[in-house]
Amino acid sequence: MSIFIQLLINGLLLGGAYAIISISLTLIFGVVRVVNFAHGELLMVGLYATWLITSHTGLHPYATVIPVAILLFAIGALMQRFVIQPLLTAEPHIQIFATVGVSTALLNLALMMFGADVRTVDAKVGAAAFQVGPISIVTGQLVTFVVAIIVAVGVYLLLQRTFVGRGFRALAQNRSAAALMGVNVNKTYVLVFGLGAALLGLAATLLAVQYPVFPTVGQYFVLTAFVVVVLGGLGSLPGAVVGSLFIGLIDSLAGYYVGSDLKEVVYFVIFLVILTLRPTGLFGLGRGSE
Amino acid sequence: MFPRLTHPRAYVGGIALLMLLLIPLAVNSPFIYHLAVQVCVFGALATAWNIVGGYAGQLSLGHAVFYAIGSYSATMLVIHFGMSPWLGMFGGAVIAVIAALVIAYPTLRLRGPFFALATIAFLEVCRLLVVHFQSFTGGSAGLNVPLNIGVEWMIFREKWAYLLIAFGFLAFTLWVSWIIRYSRFGFYLIAVREREDAARAVGVNAVRVKISAAVISAALTSMLGSFHAMYLTFIEPSAAFSLELSIQIAMFALIGGLGTVAGPLLGTLLVLPAAELSRGWLSALGNGTHGFVYGVVLVIVVLFFPRGLVGHLGGKALALIDRLPGARRFESAAPTIVNSTSPASSSSGVRGKPILIAEGLHKRFGGLKATDDVSLTLHEGEILGVIGPNGAGKTTVFNQLSGFIEPDAGTVKVCQPDGQWRTPTSPENFAQAGVGRTFQIVQPFSGLSVLENIMLGAFMHTRNIAAAESVAREVAELTDLTPLLNASARELTVGGMKRLEVARALATRPRVLLLDEVLAGLNPTDVARAIEMIRRIRGTGVSVLMIEHLMQATMALSDRIIVLNAGQLLREGKPADVVNDPAVIEAYLGKGYLDAQGT
Repeated sequence: MSIFIQLLINGLLLGGAYAIISISLTLIFGVVRVVNFAHGELLMVGLYATWLITSHTGLHPYATVIPVAILLFAIGALMQRFVIQPLLTAEPHIQIFATVGVSTALLNLALMMFGADVRTVDAKVGAAAFQVGPISIVTGQLVTFVVAIIVAVGVYLLLQRTFVGRGFRALAQNRSAAALMGVNVNKTYVLVFGLGAALLGLAATLLAVQYPVFPTVGQYFVLTAFVVVVLGGLGSLPGAVVGSLFIGLIDSLAGYYVGSDLKEVVYFVIFLVILTLRPTGLFGLGRGSE
Repeated sequence: MFPRLTHPRAYVGGIALLMLLLIPLAVNSPFIYHLAVQVCVFGALATAWNIVGGYAGQLSLGHAVFYAIGSYSATMLVIHFGMSPWLGMFGGAVIAVIAALVIAYPTLRLRGPFFALATIAFLEVCRLLVVHFQSFTGGSAGLNVPLNIGVEWMIFREKWAYLLIAFGFLAFTLWVSWIIRYSRFGFYLIAVREREDAARAVGVNAVRVKISAAVISAALTSMLGSFHAMYLTFIEPSAAFSLELSIQIAMFALIGGLGTVAGPLLGTLLVLPAAELSRGWLSALGNGTHGFVYGVVLVIVVLFFPRGLVGHLGGKALALIDRLPGARRFESAAPTIVNSTSPASSSSGVRGKPILIAEGLHKRFGGLKATDDVSLTLHEGEILGVIGPNGAGKTTVFNQLSGFIEPDAGTVKVCQPDGQWRTPTSPENFAQAGVGRTFQIVQPFSGLSVLENIMLGAFMHTRNIAAAESVAREVAELTDLTPLLNASARELTVGGMKRLEVARALATRPRVLLLDEVLAGLNPTDVARAIEMIRRIRGTGVSVLMIEHLMQATMALSDRIIVLNAGQLLREGKPADVVNDPAVIEAYLGKGYLDAQGT
């Protein structure tokens, strides 16, 4: 029984990590309407940046959050401005090609610069675990989970309560109408893409404590995040959070009961079942199949 | 079924293709043989990918999964059952088809990136499964193909034998791609890619068309994978189930020109030899340089040459080729078809039997009752006008009459020529039941010519290209489009596009034609032309239901008028009676107007 509870807790905490990545993915998709296949590679860039800074300065990964987030914001904004923006009116499969190109380029750039070696960030604080009765909790996972909740609430408030956020939502609903109401479409998209990428920078500093860094590390997280986002409903913020927790639980339970090398098989079956039965996802807006 | 070989495009293409076989045979060097085999295999892979990625516009980013299924099936059948790969590749193709159905059925019903995502996820899952079941699949270490030399094992000492087979595969794949492109199926794929709704309105089962493309592509890809495994004599999961390989295949097609027959091969010819030759010095610069260049090239091509080699240069090249002997200027092999449209054209104005009946339609959008208990009947040979102020629910009713919106309650039934009533459920069902429709916001297939646009409608009743063309020409005559037949649909004026909408619907030979504001936004000349056209259409025996804002036109054309207001049927009757009805005036102009008039 205590194993089961341990698995549940591990799963929920793991869900926190997925939640930050999924929120940033769904934010970009929801507003800009572009599926960013380079999302994983942006996360990977964040992880390498964290590793570089910590190994050169000896800072704790958590302390690198500001420079890493700014760096990622800049990369995201540049990508939107110079790759996505010229293709806004192109057919969706052309946009996907472009993000796939960025993904391939970044991944191989990392391979060129750092090789295929697995790097680890040396951080004792985050990797350690503490005991609550029979349950052991990894500090880094708990921190990630708490930050994920803060991010979810923060993004929610940003979207609902601020002028900028209303602009985001207006654009998500109707690009031309929002433009007619004075929302600067291109600037807002650059801002959204930058923000989404900056969230990945934040996620990277949190994950660097627990996971090794290598060129294809992003693909592992982002494939899962794509499943999460489809499960929750593309473009839905609550969907991304609930979907993350759910997939976190599946990950943890399937990893124990099915086998850790097959847990992705379980996700994928869920992914197909959801698409078959409820294509708009759990929190889809009815037009989520768009 | 076969290109006409006396046409310069066919013989120039054929000769160029043969060079791929003849030059290596003449040079006779192992490296050139290897390069030519790789070009044939990858060219064929890109061509097969293009059927789903280009024609259907559904990006398969995990296409290597089908290649890997073919490689593994054929190899494992050789190892475990001693089956010849010539047979084994069909086993692989069957598995690939099943896999394609599993991915495509849930995702191609949807619009959006789901198919692309599912293909990647499926690739990853298959790789994990192959690694997991290592006793059977060799796990991550991979499998060696048993080296039984002989034609039946597809294993040879001489490189030229591989080249012969690879060339055969390439030629076959190109042939399949060519047949698809110039068949009804190919037209349907392009139509669905460009405008799914408009395609469904002319009777295209969009989902089935997309799934068929995925299945054909998967089967071809798998067979290529089987051959390639025999050629490489070694397979491993990381190379076969590889995202990089998938992207590479798609990239060749993109660089050559998506959705063209020759593009994928040309893209491969341009990129692959350069990549193979530069592999040496690029990898000297560091691991990953190769992939980095690929990524950058991909982004640059998408940004600056999205139409690829064929799209940007193809027109000029073809014009040059067409100057060679054998190209006839214009081809009009189409047999003149007997006028098959009119079912005993009833004299205008006379009300026939009911042909379309809607009963008790209800539709809610959240709290809004967009359609509230609307019933209506359209009779044979009648023109029925539907009017109502903005927001009255005209278009919602219209969409329920054509299957684009499913009513919450109520039924729509259509009388068939044999006197039976049918209740269609989807847009394509309605089209097949004889209900044609236009769209208020015009939906031309802008990549196709006017003639081809109309042919799409005609394909509902025939697979034959020449027959479809002849129906299209007939319809064009009726809709004043004959002089514009060879223009591209995007070059038309608003009036022309509206008439094109009507023409495409008419080409499906409907017995009921639903017109959604075809007069809106036209200049007076075009309005007069369109009114004449609608009369002519009714003259051929088609019943017309039209939504229109232009009162005068509606009054002049309609035998009967229905007024909708706030989702309800307000009045029904002869035009003159309806427009003088106080309730109708109130609905349009408000109560104040009535009071001021003192009525």
